[in-house]
Amino acid sequence: MAEVSYVKASRIFSGNPPVRAVDELSLEVSDGEFLVLVGPSGSGKSTALRMLAGLEDIDEGAIHIGGKDVTNVPPKGRDIAMVFQSYALYPHMTVAENMGFALKLRGVPKTEIKAKVEEAAKMLDLQKYLERKPKALSGGQRQRVAMGRAIVREPSVFLMDEPLSNLDAKLRVETRANIAALQQRLGTTTIYVTHDQVEAMTMGHRVAVLKDGLLQQCDTPRALYDRPANAFVAGFIGSPAMNLKTVPISAEGAKLDGIIVPLTRSALDAAGGLDEVTFGIRPEALGIVPSGEEGMDMTVELVEELGADALVHGAVKIGDASQRFVVRVDGRTPPTLGQHVKVAVRDTTEIHLFHPESGERLEA
Amino acid sequence: MTLDASSLKVVQAGGNRLRRTDRSKGASVALHATLIVASIIAVFPVFWVFVTSLKPDARAVEPTPKLFNESSLDNYTRVLSGEKGDFLAWFGNSVVIALMTTVIGVFISATAGYAASRFRFPGKRGLMMSFLLVQMFPFAVLIVPLYNILIALGLNGTSFGLVLVYCTTAVPFCTYMLKGYFDTVPSDIDEAGRVDGLSPFGVFWRLIMPLAKPGLAVTSFYAFLTAWGEVAFASAFLSAADESKTLAVGLQVFVQQNRTEWGHLAAASILVAIPAIVVFYLVQRFLVQGLASGAVKG
Amino acid sequence: MRRFLDRYWYAYAMVLPVVVVIAVLVLYPLAQGVFFTFTNINEGNIANPILDRPATYDVVGFKNYLNVLSGGESYGAFWSTLVRTLIWTFSCVFLHYTVGLGLALLLNRQVRGRALYRVLLILPWAVPAFISAFAWKYMFNAQYGIINQLLRSVGLPDPVWLGQSDWALVSVIIVNVWLGVPFMMVALLGGLQSIPGDLYEAAEMDGATPWQRFRHVTLPGLRSVSSTVVLLGIIWTFNMFPVIYLIAGPNPNARILVTYAFERFFSGASRDYAIASTYGVLILSVLLVFAAIYRRALRKQGEVW
Repeated sequence: MAEVSYVKASRIFSGNPPVRAVDELSLEVSDGEFLVLVGPSGSGKSTALRMLAGLEDIDEGAIHIGGKDVTNVPPKGRDIAMVFQSYALYPHMTVAENMGFALKLRGVPKTEIKAKVEEAAKMLDLQKYLERKPKALSGGQRQRVAMGRAIVREPSVFLMDEPLSNLDAKLRVETRANIAALQQRLGTTTIYVTHDQVEAMTMGHRVAVLKDGLLQQCDTPRALYDRPANAFVAGFIGSPAMNLKTVPISAEGAKLDGIIVPLTRSALDAAGGLDEVTFGIRPEALGIVPSGEEGMDMTVELVEELGADALVHGAVKIGDASQRFVVRVDGRTPPTLGQHVKVAVRDTTEIHLFHPESGERLEA
Repeated sequence: MTLDASSLKVVQAGGNRLRRTDRSKGASVALHATLIVASIIAVFPVFWVFVTSLKPDARAVEPTPKLFNESSLDNYTRVLSGEKGDFLAWFGNSVVIALMTTVIGVFISATAGYAASRFRFPGKRGLMMSFLLVQMFPFAVLIVPLYNILIALGLNGTSFGLVLVYCTTAVPFCTYMLKGYFDTVPSDIDEAGRVDGLSPFGVFWRLIMPLAKPGLAVTSFYAFLTAWGEVAFASAFLSAADESKTLAVGLQVFVQQNRTEWGHLAAASILVAIPAIVVFYLVQRFLVQGLASGAVKG
Repeated sequence: MRRFLDRYWYAYAMVLPVVVVIAVLVLYPLAQGVFFTFTNINEGNIANPILDRPATYDVVGFKNYLNVLSGGESYGAFWSTLVRTLIWTFSCVFLHYTVGLGLALLLNRQVRGRALYRVLLILPWAVPAFISAFAWKYMFNAQYGIINQLLRSVGLPDPVWLGQSDWALVSVIIVNVWLGVPFMMVALLGGLQSIPGDLYEAAEMDGATPWQRFRHVTLPGLRSVSSTVVLLGIIWTFNMFPVIYLIAGPNPNARILVTYAFERFFSGASRDYAIASTYGVLILSVLLVFAAIYRRALRKQGEVW
């Protein structure tokens, strides 16, 4: 059990010019916390994790585990366990040997290893497979062995690098819940890397969003969703993505096609001096209203039926350009393709404004 | 979804099988005929040596060779009894030298190949290039300087000196092969090992070596053969005493200036070939895989 | 510097044994060998540590190179020997490759007894070269060799294979092809097996004929294996002396550069180390030029090694 902190830690890949894969990352993870690092590919999330594991150099700054500076400590001295995307199971060892390998290296007595492996196997429903080689296991079973290998160690920190990305969709959802429950039960500090924001939102106590090696925001899933710190986070978190459009503003509010969306005093103050802002609104905060009412004119271009609800994609004119909007509507009565509908903002408190250039959230 | 994919595959495999059994009779016959002819050509010289090894020397040079001609095991008994030279001592020397070359050569190639596969370090490119360069020079003409060095190291006339010389011949190819083979082992495995508590050397020894069996099999085979059948260095570097010769050197006694004892030479050759063929048989199922991954990545 | 060592020490530790062995037993002798080419060193004037005799050879500058490159018969007729070496090398490698590829293609099919065929076909590789050489020399014998007996029995002329004619070169090429095909076959078989099967399926869906599939899927798929093994094959064949030396002996009709270097080295009382080393350096130069051209040609095709 330990807390983890990144202190302005950077990883710089040599090249011309050098690439700052992780740039002055500062992050505090408290003991027992489940932290998810999320970001698009190339955002540096895996590199950040590997720095913590000791598999990448820390070129600047430092990393502490349990209050101890481990910047120059090799992986084996960090008391961590890692689950790899490819699982990295040792092909020449059985499941039991794979799980007990780290303990064997530490000189733990055989009987104790056996007991621990069996306990972990029971937890993960692997008892039947202990004598098999990884090759003879299914993808889901391999994933569980990789988890087991980490658990048996009883490390102070678990590191997981996209551990679910090689599973099919159904199994992924199932395993997602299992991992979260397991972490809850063991109470071990866990850093989890994923590119899937749904995984991030459902699993993490807190989620850190990275882009281009820079930490964008780190907060609880709810806070990320409700108050994204910038346009990138707003667009990245949530599915389908938030509608983000550059729109002109005036003292009354933001001007969209045919309507003016009123803005709060404080928001207007924050946007003081700007004549345009990046206007963000989630699909569920929009709604289709009867044709008589006030709203934007939208031509339906695509309807994605999800069952409980439907996503309507359509074009709306803003200024001279036609912009695409997504609206979440009730699944039983979706509009048809090509239909002209009126779209209105259902809830003005769910409007997010960002600086049109810097992308920073505008808010008092 | 998974069900669909797997059932599709079954259909495809079934389709292939159907077409393969559909290969016309003529094509099948031609295929087998070609392979049989090729196999006969491949095996025949060895077979013919075997046939000859059973004949007395005089019968071996008759103008109309026959399969059997006063054939017996006499040549073998005479060779093994040491009548023509200490065959068993030569054999023992060859085994020791070839095994030492294999173990040392493959081990140092493996460490170098692993470093070249996993680490980026200054000088790596130069090292790999120098291996290619080493293959280009006919080193046998350097027997004189080599001899001087072995004297300087106090290794002249010893088996170990000869083993080191053989290693220089075997190592470049083995390193290339093993580097290529290690490249096919995902580096995640190394990292998992590091996290589990291994040092870089521990990773190499406990994870990578056991996983590289096919690559190690090919390179062992190569190193073994390099040492097993070599003549020039062996005759130059080992002392002239009969009991310190290797097989390849010792067998020259059957080739006199004007008369070759074909029967005896054949019998001795078969005896020499047997260990090589045994080694070959042990590793042959790894050869294709091992050589391919080595050469593909080269 | 500290950081440099911290980061790389295990890499260097792992390559160290190889580097030491190569440096001591290859680079140093090589340097000495290059030095020999500028001297008139031979058995008579070399230092002999056992007899405790000091060296008495002289530095002669480029005389050895001039003598050899003038192409004189007494120095091994360098240019015509080079041409013969090229003929030998390219015919051997061409046959190694084509026969090896042909057999690999056959073995890559679903054939009954495939494992047995494979073992038999690889066998020549496992037989020590001097034994193969002996076997073939025996079979090529003009009077009692099985090959000529076979030719006579079907009414064909029976040449004196290893006599003073170009048949000697043909004979050693035959033997070397026999020896070298297994290596190529195994390497190419591995290459064939690494081509993903769905490429063939995709090509078939696109309507490719078997020939087109071979031309557009198989050959490109083998390119990287091929470029490696062909280069190695050429280097090895160029320097392949045991086969020729043990079968044809010092026969000038089967002489290639490396066997002549050997002749100068081993034969006669005077053992001319200087000329042998000069040949060694010239061989190295030819191969280096070749490797550079080869590499450039590959790079043009976007293939780098």
